[in-house]
Amino acid sequence: MKRSWLSLAVAMTAAFVILWQNGAFAEKPAQHAPAPKAGVQSPAQGAGKSQPPAAAPTVQIDKTALDNGGTIVVTGTAPVGKPVYLEVWAEKTVRASRFDADVDKDTGKRPYILYMTHDMPAYYKMFVPKEHKETLVKIKQEGGKWSFSKALKDVGADAVYSAPAAKAVDRYQATLMGSIIGSRGAPLSSMDEKENAKRSMQLVKARFRSVDKVMSADVEMHPNGTYRAEIKIRAGLAPGKYNIVAAVDKTAKSQPVTFENRIAFPLVYLSNGGTSVNLFGPFFLTLAIAIFGVLMGAGGGFIMNPLLVSIWPLPHTVVAGTVMPTVLFSQGSGIYNYSKIKFISWKLGVAIGLAMVAGGFIGPKLTEMITLAQFKFVFGWILLVLAGLMFWQTTPGYLEKNKKEQDIMKQFKKQAEDAAKAKKGN
Amino acid sequence: MIVHFWGHEFKINIVLGCIGGFLIAVVSSMFGFGGGPFMVPLMTVGLGLPMYVVVGSSLLAIFFNTLMGTMRHYQFGNFDLVFFLIMFPAAILGGYIAPQIAKRISPTTVKRVAVAGLVILALNLLGVY
Repeated sequence: MKRSWLSLAVAMTAAFVILWQNGAFAEKPAQHAPAPKAGVQSPAQGAGKSQPPAAAPTVQIDKTALDNGGTIVVTGTAPVGKPVYLEVWAEKTVRASRFDADVDKDTGKRPYILYMTHDMPAYYKMFVPKEHKETLVKIKQEGGKWSFSKALKDVGADAVYSAPAAKAVDRYQATLMGSIIGSRGAPLSSMDEKENAKRSMQLVKARFRSVDKVMSADVEMHPNGTYRAEIKIRAGLAPGKYNIVAAVDKTAKSQPVTFENRIAFPLVYLSNGGTSVNLFGPFFLTLAIAIFGVLMGAGGGFIMNPLLVSIWPLPHTVVAGTVMPTVLFSQGSGIYNYSKIKFISWKLGVAIGLAMVAGGFIGPKLTEMITLAQFKFVFGWILLVLAGLMFWQTTPGYLEKNKKEQDIMKQFKKQAEDAAKAKKGN
Repeated sequence: MIVHFWGHEFKINIVLGCIGGFLIAVVSSMFGFGGGPFMVPLMTVGLGLPMYVVVGSSLLAIFFNTLMGTMRHYQFGNFDLVFFLIMFPAAILGGYIAPQIAKRISPTTVKRVAVAGLVILALNLLGVY
């Protein structure tokens, strides 16, 4: 009984923290204020016209706030005949990492360098002129092997790509020894601007995965130099401020205009995952899988992790790192129950446990060295092996043997329980 | 190594157990699951131990791995507190509901359903469909 109270307390605390994190108790004066109908004018408008060679485009938006995504109409003027690119990014940041083990074209060696930034915008997208729609379709057909830097070049947006490029990318030289002792490796010197930009493009791809998420051909150009774009901000993104910059080349850029993306309960923002989710989604999924896991006698982690990375756009590192601690409690209480009746061989458990500690030290390091696609691929095979094991456990031969084992186990358990009770009685 | 358990003695190959445990730990902490379904066959089939020795002791061994894996994932910044607070109460609640259902349902049936489910999920992950 005590334990259920404890669990209830844990659940209540968790709910409270989520609410608090979500700002449910904070004052929200801006929440109900009607969005101004008039567009937000960029100060660059006047300045742009006085300098014809590098005229900066202007940018206006029709609303300044969205509730969990929506459509914003962006309009403005640019020098006639020049394509306009709209760069949109969130102020909230997430971590992005990529392990470079591809053969270098020049040296023929594998570099084994881990690139990482903590400042990747939680949302980043480049909106390009509508004429590039087919180019994007073609890139999409390349599947998982598409390259963001090539895609930017193909649509002529490589010169205007700037927001993620400005964020510092750290890099670590991974070594076999380093990986064994679970180290990221020695930090390498910081890169120059060009190299940093190139690596940041790879990180954009690593974080957002598909070309749809980071590029879209929505900017409608008119012959008189005006443009119009309906920007769709999808649901489930980070809350907070978003910036829009219109650019025609590297220097001719508008000042950023900003809008606010708001989310409200039951949506919560997972700051490490960079995603807003309806909290009931993962809750009921976990509940269902936990019940099923106990019934089939295997932890739920096997089913949980692949489902979580498939349903929500969460990084596999965050999923693996967050699901693991959730089973700690149930494992701990299981051990406590078995130890109460002395039904554990401490010698055996600790001996193998020490080997497992070494394994558990290395494993989490390796998670960030693989891509989501590799994560899914390996998980697919793990699940097939697991399915094989489970199938074996339902074969008649195994069941018969298991029945005998279960009977012996019950007998032993009873003996152990009686012994534990007798001791208590004394 | 000789393991004593309730008046019985078992001679096991601890080297095999440790190597197996190590490999299971690397993979399970890398992919963020417990590892129980692999540990139990390792200890019953690989080490030849009876089920009643394995149930508690395998849990203890896995606990070491989960604890270490959790700490390392936290260190590498893979832990999301809000996400954890959503899933954790659900996992505990599931642990209380499951035994109530378990009385009315055969574990063999559950396992057969699980096999089908796992294969479907695996094929999806492998990109077969």
